[in-house]
Amino acid sequence: MSYYFTIFSPTDTPLFTHEFGTSRSSGDGTAHFNATDRHLAPFILHSALDILEEVQWGPSSTAGSAPMYLKHIDKYANNYVSCWITGANVRFLLLTRPRDEVLGEVDWEGRGESCRGRLGVGGVYRPDAPATEEAVKNFMVDVYESWVKTVMNPFFHAGNGDVVKSPVFRARVAAAAKKYL
Amino acid sequence: MTPIQDATPKPPKYPADLDTSIVLPKQRASPASSLASLPYRTSNPSLHKLFESTASISTSRPSSGSATPTASVIPGSVFSPGSRQNGTGTPSSLPPGVSDEHRTLIQQAYAPHVVVVADNETEELIRGKGLDGGLLQLLRPFGESISGKVTIRDSVGASKSYEDFGVRFVSMDEVLGRPPVSERPLPQQNPANGQGDQGRASTTAIRPRPVGGDVAEVEELVDRHLQYTEFNAQGSVPDYLNRGEPAAQESGRSPFYTLYLRRLLSGLPMVPHETFAHPVVGVIATSSRSAAPVEELRDLYNRQHQGDLRVPQWVDGLFLRYYVFIHEEESGDIAKSNTTFDSMKRHFGLNCHLLRLKGQQCISSDDDAVRLPSCEWLSASEELAEIQKQESADEFTDPTPHIPDSDVTAIRTFVRELVAQSMVPHMERNIHQWNEQILARRRGLSGRFMSLSKRWTTFGSSRSSSASTITPSNTNYDSAGGFYRPDAPEALMRRLADYCFMLRDTKLALSTYEILCTDFNNDKAWQHYAGAAEMAALSALLSPAALTAKIRTEKIDEWIRSATYSYTDRQRSATPFYALRTLALSLELLRLRGTSATDDAARWGSRILELNLVGPIGAALFTERISACFSIRPGLGVLKLGSRRRKAAFWSVLAAQEWWRQNKALQAEKCLDAALHLYGARTESTEGGPVRLPFDDMQHFVDELRQQILGLRLANRGLGEDEEIGEAQQSMLVEEATETLDASPRAHRKSLVGAVAPNIDAGPLSPTLERTPEKDDLFEGAV
Repeated sequence: MSYYFTIFSPTDTPLFTHEFGTSRSSGDGTAHFNATDRHLAPFILHSALDILEEVQWGPSSTAGSAPMYLKHIDKYANNYVSCWITGANVRFLLLTRPRDEVLGEVDWEGRGESCRGRLGVGGVYRPDAPATEEAVKNFMVDVYESWVKTVMNPFFHAGNGDVVKSPVFRARVAAAAKKYL
Repeated sequence: MTPIQDATPKPPKYPADLDTSIVLPKQRASPASSLASLPYRTSNPSLHKLFESTASISTSRPSSGSATPTASVIPGSVFSPGSRQNGTGTPSSLPPGVSDEHRTLIQQAYAPHVVVVADNETEELIRGKGLDGGLLQLLRPFGESISGKVTIRDSVGASKSYEDFGVRFVSMDEVLGRPPVSERPLPQQNPANGQGDQGRASTTAIRPRPVGGDVAEVEELVDRHLQYTEFNAQGSVPDYLNRGEPAAQESGRSPFYTLYLRRLLSGLPMVPHETFAHPVVGVIATSSRSAAPVEELRDLYNRQHQGDLRVPQWVDGLFLRYYVFIHEEESGDIAKSNTTFDSMKRHFGLNCHLLRLKGQQCISSDDDAVRLPSCEWLSASEELAEIQKQESADEFTDPTPHIPDSDVTAIRTFVRELVAQSMVPHMERNIHQWNEQILARRRGLSGRFMSLSKRWTTFGSSRSSSASTITPSNTNYDSAGGFYRPDAPEALMRRLADYCFMLRDTKLALSTYEILCTDFNNDKAWQHYAGAAEMAALSALLSPAALTAKIRTEKIDEWIRSATYSYTDRQRSATPFYALRTLALSLELLRLRGTSATDDAARWGSRILELNLVGPIGAALFTERISACFSIRPGLGVLKLGSRRRKAAFWSVLAAQEWWRQNKALQAEKCLDAALHLYGARTESTEGGPVRLPFDDMQHFVDELRQQILGLRLANRGLGEDEEIGEAQQSMLVEEATETLDASPRAHRKSLVGAVAPNIDAGPLSPTLERTPEKDDLFEGAV
């Protein structure tokens, strides 16, 4: 399981990018994209912004206030994109690329229950499984917390579209990733 | 029009420092090898004509239409002008810049089939005119578009006229599914003819199957076309890509994709689960050369009825017969022919025609000689064979036969009469009859009960004896053979629906297909079920009625999904061709519906790729097409909310990559330009500066891809034309100096679209590119 996490400014500029792998089930925490997927990952995330806007401005699925966590919104081939949106319209996008070997194996998080037959593209990995959604949500919440602290820093212009360079922020994202994903 | 580029062989004059200054990318070897394996074909004018004509079929029509969204300029428009203008074609009138060429294409593709048989003397007569294919070859091009309008009454009695109605003439071999008899045992009549026969023998060695349905062949054919463009795209050749260039502003319109679709739909195979290829009318022909014409006709009929020409048992053999008497002007005696014709009329009724043709061979220099029109609906293998034939033919000979003008008129009249006066009324009558006798009963209360009782056979047979007498066995489906007998109600209903579809009455077709879906599902006739579901989806999408999102998601999606699934996974022998057809046609029709339907279209497109239904060429084409699907979705307001621009750009990049892998530099470049245009559109509107992609990774990837494509193009061209090297090298240097290759999208667009740019390859040479982009490290997006 490899992840590619990007924070987009409201004008679609990537402010922060972090690549990591799963730390569960003897994952070493580094991403294992193959070359093609790695190259396409930014494209996939960028193109998911279209769907994101649709979800964001579309009819709300929940009653009351609009949710910040938009769950799984888009996919390309075996890449799944989940999204969190902040009040300032900064978008957190997480691209999940399940390992090929995961298909058919018993998953450690109970993500996939059973093989969905030959038609299922991702096979076992189910982006809409409750456990998956919860894990991603927890990760996003943690990142959001760090993000708010970072952009409130008066010496730093992250909120104005500056790329986030803070090592602390990166460390926190990595920690959240290690904890939940 | 085609200056012979290699008539004066020039010694290759490479600049001395060429090899040191250019670092050609590593892909150089592969196009070279592929070029070497190609037959040398730059100089054959008739060949060029062949490629051009095929592609111009696919380009010329849309290019006139796509200029205006209403596309009322299309000569063969789907609807009569009146109903067309108010946009009934698709419910929400077409999005701007979208032509409905593919909709027209789909409607034309499903045309009634007319099987042609003739006795030996007649075939001999036609061959004497220089047409190796006999009567079929003579008639075939004229069937594809009937001159004048054809008026069809639909099931509710409303008449509509169509200008682009057509029929397909097919041979008996095709209907029987036999390999075509390449050489009939013919008595060699005159020695002069012997040579022609010999020549024919060599060409018929590669005589192809006229039946389509083979995706690999379609791929190969389109590949041929692509290669031809790739290696002949010099400015001097009136290249069809360039001619279509102004129209190419409609995003992602590719003549090759149209060709792909057309060949996919050409020559629908004879199968039990759909009756489009089943003959509706059989033309039986004899001529004034035959001694006893009436007996000849009768004999042919009997052979069709119970002899060696009998149709398979799942085809209804009682199709309408149309008797033709061919009068040879030179040798025949018209008075005698008239009496024969009169006796034919007495014997066979009104479905007869006297066709007056000239017997001798016509050459192109004759006064009234007309080139036999080329068929638009050749199957892929036929066209491949045609290309091969032309390639092997010597220069400047045009193997296409010529026929006298008077013949053309006579044949046109004949075909029109056949279609308008016999075939269409016959089909209308059948529709009416089956509608009343079968469909109405099936739809009524008792019909519902019947289908219920069929489902629970035990109850049905024990309680109501009436139901069990109608369906003595539990089902009409012959599961071993996988077909319904042609007189079973299901088979008749299927034919009714297919007839309706071919006569463009989508409403009745849709309701019939819906009923059929449930029936076939109950019988577990998966192939039939898939066919019905496919056609239900198509007729719903083709119908001018508006579709609510609910119908679309609940019904049409379901039909498409189950059709695809049933075609591929559900049965023992998968038929990926049909699955591909379902998805591709749904994609096209959904795309025309605009707005949110385009998302569905793109989804089905990616489904094609996921299921691996197509080969590499098809994959590239469909990737490009998905991009086109996304790109036509309009956004709302200033921010273009809800548009799919970024998706479109992404898929364009993918397509570019795919093309590059196929060594198709021109296509790759086109896609990449489109992608950059899409990516840059928003930035450009505020700034006008060079486009930078949001991610450095993306920029890097795109730059690299462009570099590779350029290298590929150089390799392709460097082999094709020597003098270009210097120029190309120059551009290469420029490229290396600037790093940002495609500096301004606006400038680039101009270089592509401008009328003075017949040579796309000059793209990087345009002066704008030498302008180094101002190095601002601020990303524009953030402003």
